Amino acid sequence: MSREQAAYALPAGVGLRLPHLAEVAAGASSAAWLEAHPENFLANPHARELLLRVRHHHPVALHTVGVSVGTATGLDRAHLARLRTLVDELDPFLVSGHLAWSTYDGVYLNDLLPIPYDDDAMRVVATNVHEVQDVLRRCYVVENPASYVAFSTSTRAETDFLAELASRTGCKLLCDVSNAYLSAANLGYDAYEYINGLPADAVAELHLGGFTREADDEGAPVLIDTHAAAIAEPVWELYAHALRRFGPQPTLIEWDNALPNFAQLLSEAEHADRVAHATFGETARARAG
Amino acid sequence: MPALVDLQGTFARAMTSGDAAGVGAHLRGGRDPGQRLAIHLRHYATTLAAALCDKFPASVWLIGADAMREAALAYARLHPPRQPCIAEYGREFPQFLAGHPRTDRLPYVRSFAELEWAVAQASIALEAPPLSWTALAACGAEHLVESRLALQPGVHYVRADWRIDELMETYLSGVTPERFVLVDADTRIEVRGARGTFKLTQLDAATFAFRTTVAAGRTVGDAADAALTLDSGFDPGAALRALVDAELVAATATGTQESQR
Repeated sequence: MSREQAAYALPAGVGLRLPHLAEVAAGASSAAWLEAHPENFLANPHARELLLRVRHHHPVALHTVGVSVGTATGLDRAHLARLRTLVDELDPFLVSGHLAWSTYDGVYLNDLLPIPYDDDAMRVVATNVHEVQDVLRRCYVVENPASYVAFSTSTRAETDFLAELASRTGCKLLCDVSNAYLSAANLGYDAYEYINGLPADAVAELHLGGFTREADDEGAPVLIDTHAAAIAEPVWELYAHALRRFGPQPTLIEWDNALPNFAQLLSEAEHADRVAHATFGETARARAG
Repeated sequence: MPALVDLQGTFARAMTSGDAAGVGAHLRGGRDPGQRLAIHLRHYATTLAAALCDKFPASVWLIGADAMREAALAYARLHPPRQPCIAEYGREFPQFLAGHPRTDRLPYVRSFAELEWAVAQASIALEAPPLSWTALAACGAEHLVESRLALQPGVHYVRADWRIDELMETYLSGVTPERFVLVDADTRIEVRGARGTFKLTQLDAATFAFRTTVAAGRTVGDAADAALTLDSGFDPGAALRALVDAELVAATATGTQESQR
């Protein structure tokens, strides 16, 4: 299958959140595929039962928010074991998580926190990713973070860190196009150069999510990764660039807060499909010309 | 630059305390990176407080949104989650809520919030196949007294000094009465639920003792003793029959003391 054909064969998926679960489990959804946060299901047997029902008629990916591959105090092995059980039951086509940390010495901080990009962090993250992959017995897909601050002591660019991580561990990368856009805006670099800096052969999934414009405590503008809005126009443009760079990849619409009805999520997915069609049609025309 | 483990320790303390002093030294971003860091600090507190408010909507109804948010923020600072599944966060919140200054005129708030937690847990449970009399009889009548029974995952017990079940039913009705008298009475409630539904049942003292003793993993004999202490006329056989007939006993975990050693 050519890249262009693959794009048409793989429409965008949507995030599956608990308020939509019963509707989707009833089989009423036309979503191409769905991505769920396992942490919403591990302690909720009823929701887990419905998710397994969803799996009967939709491809499902899992996107972890609590694995914390950036933590220096060791992974939460009990959590990882529970995740493994769900992965075994569900057989998702992708399991992903973030280049971030959220646990410290048994405390869960309910956020995706930044790490410095240096040798110490590379050793920690690579060790943790290896362990995750060993436990899950599959390739883990690591997402670029949404950043508001960075470490002045980093010795590598984020893209170089991710590329090295993929090379060392065999993990794949999830390029969150919205994260790339807002991190670039927040930290003052070029989002297109960021996309160009990621190793294309390692990218296995794309995310698109809405952000919110706020002001920090100093009154300076800052973009927050709230997943509480439609995808902004500049992000759609960056998405087209990412498609040209990475080729067709499973693309997910993330909308977690101020959750709209499921039809609106599907409408955003259709928007992503239109961008993919236009992009690859354009690529095919360029090649033919 | 400190080692990653030390850096994360400092960061973690800042997150839970809300005090970012000294954390911004190695950061860049915005005019003042420390202010950018505040985005993470706010996120920690506000998302956990929101999660608790979402988890205890009846308690919000009872004490008011402002008081609940204040208590939830304080709880998040003092009792950070220990697991990534936020659905499991807040089991001890009812006790904390009872000690919060905003609820000091509501002596029933702890048991009401405990009932709400139990209802929520019951509602997300799945029923296991019930234990039949035939299966129970198979362990032998002589061993029955030593048997330990596993109740359905969606069964919980709450004891209170007030008729909090009536208060909960009032909340669930969606109608705020002009006047509500909360009766001061020893109240023993069985919460049973599964797949989004639940039921509250008032139990007498002896039946409550029997069932909570079984639920605690002790033997049927222990449960009978606990009930007979409260009511010398209690019939353990009938109580066991009622438990099995109501399909409250799960088939998956029965055994005698011998088999569990």
